Amino acid sequence: MNRLTRYAIAVIVAMSLAVPVLAHHSASMFDDAKVLEKKATVKELQWTNPHIWLQVVIEENGTKTEWSLEGGSPNTLSRQGWRATTFKAGDVVTVRFNPMRDGSAAGLFIGAKFDADGKAIGRWQ
Amino acid sequence: MTGKRLVLSTAVFAAIFGLTIGVRAQSPRAPLPDWTGVWAMQGNTVFDRASVQPPTGRAGEPGVRESPPYTDEWEARYRRNIELVRQGKFPDPVSTCGTPHGFPRIMNVPDVYEFAVTPTAVYVIAENGPNVLRIYTDGRKHPATEDLWPTYNGASVGHWEGETLVFTTISLKGSTDNDVIVDRTGLVLSDASRATTRLRKIDEKTMEAEIVLEDAKALKSPWKVTKRYVKQPPGTWAWDYACAENNRNPIDSSGRTLTLGPDGKVLDK
Repeated sequence: MNRLTRYAIAVIVAMSLAVPVLAHHSASMFDDAKVLEKKATVKELQWTNPHIWLQVVIEENGTKTEWSLEGGSPNTLSRQGWRATTFKAGDVVTVRFNPMRDGSAAGLFIGAKFDADGKAIGRWQ
Repeated sequence: MTGKRLVLSTAVFAAIFGLTIGVRAQSPRAPLPDWTGVWAMQGNTVFDRASVQPPTGRAGEPGVRESPPYTDEWEARYRRNIELVRQGKFPDPVSTCGTPHGFPRIMNVPDVYEFAVTPTAVYVIAENGPNVLRIYTDGRKHPATEDLWPTYNGASVGHWEGETLVFTTISLKGSTDNDVIVDRTGLVLSDASRATTRLRKIDEKTMEAEIVLEDAKALKSPWKVTKRYVKQPPGTWAWDYACAENNRNPIDSSGRTLTLGPDGKVLDK
């Protein structure tokens, strides 16, 4: 592995470990002291600025609810290895996120692990 | 001296003097520095990370603050803003996707930067926003006061000291009612603010901006803040950033930042 490759990997690893950045608005609505982990089915990935939104359906106690999980900008996420096709409708994943303080069905995306191959994206240690 | 000799001497003097002037006018300056590539700000978006408390605090978290040398009046104003942050009612004005970050905040944004160096100007291009800071280096002075009006990024002129760009920024809009902020801890400056910035590459992977802010209304003394930017791997792309493309976080009349569902309806309870 040459120096350039090691440098590139170091930068990508550092960025993947970084706390999610909401570049254009206050994140005060999210409870960063609380992390929820839920099994979910992907409905849609909105690969848009200023933030991406992962729409997932979470079933609990027989009730299905659509959740909106907000992430960084596609610009920054693409440099961390994400693509517009990273999540596809129907993917079954386990997602981690900081929920809204008021309990509404939204949160700040932290990471996800795909059931199909066990691969993870975002922060997932 | 005969008339012919006088004419000849004058012609020789004029030729030598003119040649000297010409050489001076055309003498090449030192080569411009190589600031090519894509750069990302080091650390989070707390503007003055040297004074932030707690040291790991992030902009927008309740209770996080820095220590600019504010006057009593502006310290009180900062404290009011910190309280609004705590209440979740300190909206980021750029959430509207309609106004620029402004200077000095443009030097303090996430995503990436490019520093375009030309013989007559340097352009700091922030992907986030997007925002552009123009710094003219062609020898011009700032416009006369009567030719200026307050703007988000103000007016910047600079010169090279070796490979360091030194520029001054004036005519800034400043904050009237938190409509222009420096960061989300609640930092604001007035329309009397101005800055002298030294921008340079300190090693092959690091750019540094040393910003000295003065503000006759808000600050008791100059405030020096240093920002650093790390070079990203070769071939890194900076992308288009269209803030209004899918903005699901509008601000309500109370200053609260809302969260919209995919159907555009407010999710907040």
